[in-house]
Amino acid sequence: MPPALLTTSLVNTIQIGSLYALMALGITLTFSVMKLPNFAHAEYVTAGAYAALIVSLSGVLNPLVIMAAAFIVGALSALISQLAVFKRLEGKEVSLYTLILSSFAVGLIIRYILFLMADYFNLFDLRIGIPLTIVFRDGSLILSNLFAWVVPTSIVLVVLLTLLLNATPLGREMRALANNVNLARVIGIPVERVKNYTWLLVGGLAGVAGALWGLQTAVHPLMGWGAIISVFAAAILGGLSSFSGTILGAYVVAFSENTVMLFLNANFGVDLAYKPAIPFIIIIAVLLIRPQGFTNLIRRAGDLQR
Amino acid sequence: MPEDPARPLLELKSIRKDFGGLRAVDDVSLDVPKGAIVGLIGPNGSGKSTLINLIARATNLSAGQVLFNGENISDLASDEVFRRGIARGYQEPALYFKMTVLDNVLLPVKDQRGEQPWYAPWRRYWQGDEAAHAQTAVDVLAQVQLLQHYDTLASDLSGGQMKLLEIARCLMGRPELLLLDEPTAGVAPKLAYEIFQQIARLRDDHGITLLIVEHRLEILFDFADYVYVMHLGNLLAQGKVDDIASDATVREVYFGD
Amino acid sequence: MINIDIVATAIAVLTLFGIYSLMAISLNLEYGVAGVPNFGKALFVSIGAYTAGITYTRLLPLLSGFEVIHPCGPTMGGALQLRSEIMATQPVAGFINLGLTMLIAAVIAGAVGFALSYVTLRLKEEWFLALVLLVGGETVRIVVRGADDFICSHNGISSVAQPFYFLDDPRTSSLLFMLLALALALLAYLYSERLIRSPFGRMLKGLRENEDVTRGLGKGISLARAQIMLIGSAIAAVGGALFALNTGFVNTNDFVVTLTLDVWVMVVLGGIGNNRGALLGALLIALMDRFTQVGAIALNMSGSDVEFNYVRFIAFGIILIWMLRYRSAGLLPESRLTTGAHDVVRRVLEK
Repeated sequence: MPPALLTTSLVNTIQIGSLYALMALGITLTFSVMKLPNFAHAEYVTAGAYAALIVSLSGVLNPLVIMAAAFIVGALSALISQLAVFKRLEGKEVSLYTLILSSFAVGLIIRYILFLMADYFNLFDLRIGIPLTIVFRDGSLILSNLFAWVVPTSIVLVVLLTLLLNATPLGREMRALANNVNLARVIGIPVERVKNYTWLLVGGLAGVAGALWGLQTAVHPLMGWGAIISVFAAAILGGLSSFSGTILGAYVVAFSENTVMLFLNANFGVDLAYKPAIPFIIIIAVLLIRPQGFTNLIRRAGDLQR
Repeated sequence: MPEDPARPLLELKSIRKDFGGLRAVDDVSLDVPKGAIVGLIGPNGSGKSTLINLIARATNLSAGQVLFNGENISDLASDEVFRRGIARGYQEPALYFKMTVLDNVLLPVKDQRGEQPWYAPWRRYWQGDEAAHAQTAVDVLAQVQLLQHYDTLASDLSGGQMKLLEIARCLMGRPELLLLDEPTAGVAPKLAYEIFQQIARLRDDHGITLLIVEHRLEILFDFADYVYVMHLGNLLAQGKVDDIASDATVREVYFGD
Repeated sequence: MINIDIVATAIAVLTLFGIYSLMAISLNLEYGVAGVPNFGKALFVSIGAYTAGITYTRLLPLLSGFEVIHPCGPTMGGALQLRSEIMATQPVAGFINLGLTMLIAAVIAGAVGFALSYVTLRLKEEWFLALVLLVGGETVRIVVRGADDFICSHNGISSVAQPFYFLDDPRTSSLLFMLLALALALLAYLYSERLIRSPFGRMLKGLRENEDVTRGLGKGISLARAQIMLIGSAIAAVGGALFALNTGFVNTNDFVVTLTLDVWVMVVLGGIGNNRGALLGALLIALMDRFTQVGAIALNMSGSDVEFNYVRFIAFGIILIWMLRYRSAGLLPESRLTTGAHDVVRRVLEK
């Protein structure tokens, strides 16, 4: 594989891996705190991306404002799905499959509302209006302003989230819920409120990830859905419970999809059309061979359970 | 293998079970002779239920051996253990709550031809067997006074009836050894005594051997032949009912006096 | 205004009903009765469709004495023409090919279902099975789509004519195809009803209610689960083959997660564990599909830009959530089915 290609693919790995991490942390958090494998998570990403797109189209090009809008819209769509659907199912003793199905249903609804909106206002495949510039060039290593936004923002958000989980009362309460909801209720933790905050946080992060995603590719109602399996693969690599494992998982998935795929293509002639199969293979392999993922391999304070 | 009349039906040899760092059962060896009613008592958390789960192979052993009729069953799966002749009840009744009483007792019948998918759609292959099993079920349900409820959903039974249905369900598998985990838990005292009378009849009429975990010592001591006492995962004492009832160490851990 | 041909619409809806029924019955056996969460339905349906894609391009010419023309790439047009010609002039070869398609599809899908069920036994948590099946279906789809020679990658195979294409009157031919679909659905229905009302069905329900207890009562639950996966997958694949013949296309894009969800909606809507519910669900979704198409055309003709398909999916989601929330047993809840043992006991008691 030519070195220039290798460098580009590694840059992509870091950039996309950071975005996967933002999204996958949400999956891990929802699964730990709410015991829900949420397939609608993808749509919070798309909703955030569209919020960012619309704000940028209205002429506001300050990235911070754009991301704030994406955060709010993502957070609200997550909170609405909790209040309108998931919370109402909780009270009745439903099976996990019912919850999975309902998360698919929520996803469908949000996705096709976005489709309708995009169709009506002609908002297909537009980029968020921040012009692409090159901020760093050294040989084959080219970094755009995207990289300068995506990577630090992701890192800052992940650090903030870890701090929130470990050093604030809300974080302690979330961890208590993750360990044992009934016990948390007994010792007087306002379970519903903590859940609502968790949803806001999860949706907001997904929204910001969507905005950052929309900076580098085009915004489309299917963009979140297209990434959901990669994101799930990352969360499953984290054992659906470990923060550090999920972050590591995100970069592993991004690395496999970019660098490994290019390597296979260059050296073994594997067609790039098979790239979408990579996260699937990761998921199946992890679930069958090592269902705990990276947990126990790396134990950090960020882990949600035990 | 020639049958040795003196050989116990069930032998546990240095059984151990660790849950993570916790040793729930520590080096327990005990025998259950054929045709006996053996009691297993001890304070909460002493490892009694774990022991039942280990014998029924619902959990894996950390060390030791379980011998049934002289055969090592330590590595068998729970369905194999049932087929060898060990049936078990659960502390919380684990019935098929959305099925009728009759379906609950018919399900465990062994070697049903109609359970094979290629025979299942063709009634003529299994209808005769099914009718015969239904006849057996009539007898078994009558014995536990549930016959008139045969068409009731298991979830609609009372707590005591659920316990009895669970025993009836075990009987349909024609076990040699029946493991019961607190057969009278959550049942009114009078009914509890009746349940034990039923249990005694299982031994007297059907020759079934019983290993019973029970908290109601006053009832258990009326029926058991032999009692093992567990404490903190260890076997603390064993003996005939009278000896155990008067044993000082047993009284200390169990009654705190 | 648009004119709706009522007969044609009825035929289309009923054909779709027959095809959906096969899929719904298969999921009802797996999830409704045995509790196996098959979120990979699209995979097993697609196996049927891919099989049809292969047999109609490779086997059919052989059966009717022609050389096989490679169906993809530059020879695509020639292969297509040959296919249509054979279907129009050689009904016997067409029917033999149809029968073989069903058989091969059922065998392959059944084997895959059986094998996957054993592979997934190792899974730590039960719902991972749902995830593995979901993900496995998508993986197969991507691999098939990537393979150039199999069913022609992105292009798929078009003009897979249905078996009654040789008739001059298209209405008669579509009517007969509808009857074929309905007949197969009826067979599947009768078969699965008998299966449910047997000791096998009772064991499956036990497996659904409590896996550990059922194993503890001496049942080989891994085998039972694999067996029901085999049966369900075979039925689904027959549905998939019919699906391909009905649309005339074999394309990987048809077998995405949405198809799996459609089948789930049928079962959840109709009634989990009730075959008649599965049929009702299939009928409702078939109607909904047809009216979505009609509605889309009507909307377009009235000059509106709104894509009606989007509305269909939103309605889908809402129906699904509504059912899960307010009628989790479905429109036709599971009825108590018995092997006949209850009658025996009743007669004893009456004496």
